[in-house]
Amino acid sequence: MTTAVADAHEVHDDHGPEKGLRRWLFTTNHKDIGTMYLVFSLTMFFVGGFMALIIRSELAQPGLQFVHPEFFNSMTTMHALVMVFGAVMPAFVGLANWMIPMQIGAPDMALPRMNNWSFWILPVAFGILISTLFMPGGAPASGWTMYPPLVLQTGDAFPFLIFSVHLMGISSIMGAINIIVTIINMRTHEMTLIRMPMFVWTWLITAYLLLAVMPVLAGAVTMLLTDQFFGTSFFLAAGGGDPVMFQHIFWFFGHPEVYIMILPAFGVVSEIIPTFSRKPLFGHDSMVYAAASIAFLSFIVWAHHMFTVGMPLTGQMFFMFATMLIAVPTGVKVFNWVGTMWRGSMTFETPMLFALAFVFLFTIGGFSGLMLAIVPADIQYHDSYFVVAHFHYVLVPGSIFALMAGAYYWLPKWTGHMYNEWAGKLHFWLSTIFVNVTFFPMHFLGLAGMPRRIPDYSTQFADFNMIASIGAMGFGLSQLVFVYVLLTAKQGEKATAEVWDSPKGLEWTVPSPAPYHTFDEPVHVDRTVAFPQNP
Amino acid sequence: MTELDSETRKGIRRTALILAAIALSFYLGFILIGVLNA
Repeated sequence: MTTAVADAHEVHDDHGPEKGLRRWLFTTNHKDIGTMYLVFSLTMFFVGGFMALIIRSELAQPGLQFVHPEFFNSMTTMHALVMVFGAVMPAFVGLANWMIPMQIGAPDMALPRMNNWSFWILPVAFGILISTLFMPGGAPASGWTMYPPLVLQTGDAFPFLIFSVHLMGISSIMGAINIIVTIINMRTHEMTLIRMPMFVWTWLITAYLLLAVMPVLAGAVTMLLTDQFFGTSFFLAAGGGDPVMFQHIFWFFGHPEVYIMILPAFGVVSEIIPTFSRKPLFGHDSMVYAAASIAFLSFIVWAHHMFTVGMPLTGQMFFMFATMLIAVPTGVKVFNWVGTMWRGSMTFETPMLFALAFVFLFTIGGFSGLMLAIVPADIQYHDSYFVVAHFHYVLVPGSIFALMAGAYYWLPKWTGHMYNEWAGKLHFWLSTIFVNVTFFPMHFLGLAGMPRRIPDYSTQFADFNMIASIGAMGFGLSQLVFVYVLLTAKQGEKATAEVWDSPKGLEWTVPSPAPYHTFDEPVHVDRTVAFPQNP
Repeated sequence: MTELDSETRKGIRRTALILAAIALSFYLGFILIGVLNA
């Protein structure tokens, strides 16, 4: 491919980055901002992970041992908020910042100053959120869903929670606008929409989801704020309001939010599997249509989160069947990944291992989701550890494994050096073993009736809880291997421009490490060579 | 970053404004739903 792309290799380092702190505070460079997003999300991953370990320490044995029940509830709430909004979402935005301009042949994001602002709002938002741990009344403890009237009993932390959620929303919306505008307006001319790489496609769809649902969350929490401080009764039954309406509005945001965290993961895996199978992606166009179908369906399934609040049978049937329908496009994707690997010349470097584990383990999370879609079954499973097992299978060996896969895949492009493959594989195997030790027993706990969000439980649940806690400690420690890989990332052998064995895509046509400015001149692409997997 | 041509700049501005308007309408629209239901 190198010969096919003319004029793409010129290195424009004549005006490089500023020095010191100013570089990071005022940068408008998509690579710098991508790096900041990734570092921030990794930090939040460890903060949220530490909270998870507090939860699992408390649950290792029945009875109360380490923390007060109120603090335990704060931990479950904060763990979710930090992981969803601080770790997973910013990590995918970081990958988007780094890779989308390079994959579409653009010199930078379309709105670089807004890009800087989108990032710097985030540390402020999470600084505010985490500071609530030290406020009178403690941190929010109502769950990340912030259901009224419970959330209105939060102490001094309440307005800070609402403000930080607004800030996270503003950051996400600005990021989404930037990504859509960049993809629509700054692609190299030869790259028609359908020719775009899958990572770009999935992010385009994700950005539209973000744009549609983050304002809905903002609207919901604004109404909570006015209920608390300005005498309104949107959700207060005593004043004629309806607390269930909050649940409808929240989940209209919340279910697409799940796909916001998984669609970019699909994109990453769809980049990696073809490279290490040495075959074009099977069914590129059907992958695009499947992602778009999943996004559309995500808007009409929200009430499956609230089957137990009481709704007409017709409503239950609609939301049950609509939810089951999502299995069809998701199945298309899984079969296409398997089809890509079929008779491929596969090798199993760390990114491929994480991508393969993603396909297997995400599918387990998908199947348990299908079980939860069935109304009569869901009434039994609701608010049990089965639900906790389900969404952790989707988010940890799903989203987070895809993020790890993407980090290992593109790391040599970012640093210019090969990472320590042995340590990478160690990280993979430890993570895969411990993630299953942690979350698989939770299925049995839920089926046996253990409720979620409690610090104590009946002794019949003791064994599986102990196993899950040991797994969680192991998983947490395993991530230190990843930190080691990152700290030694520049000590390996020099990476070539292509890094891997003939990967496809414009990012592999620039040198490793990618120069500070890439594609300053319009790229002219031989479409048959640069996009062989597309029509 | 390279200077973009005026056509691209115009496209960027137009797309960004349309998207911002969509986001704002979702925000205000859902609050309006709340007002109408209260």
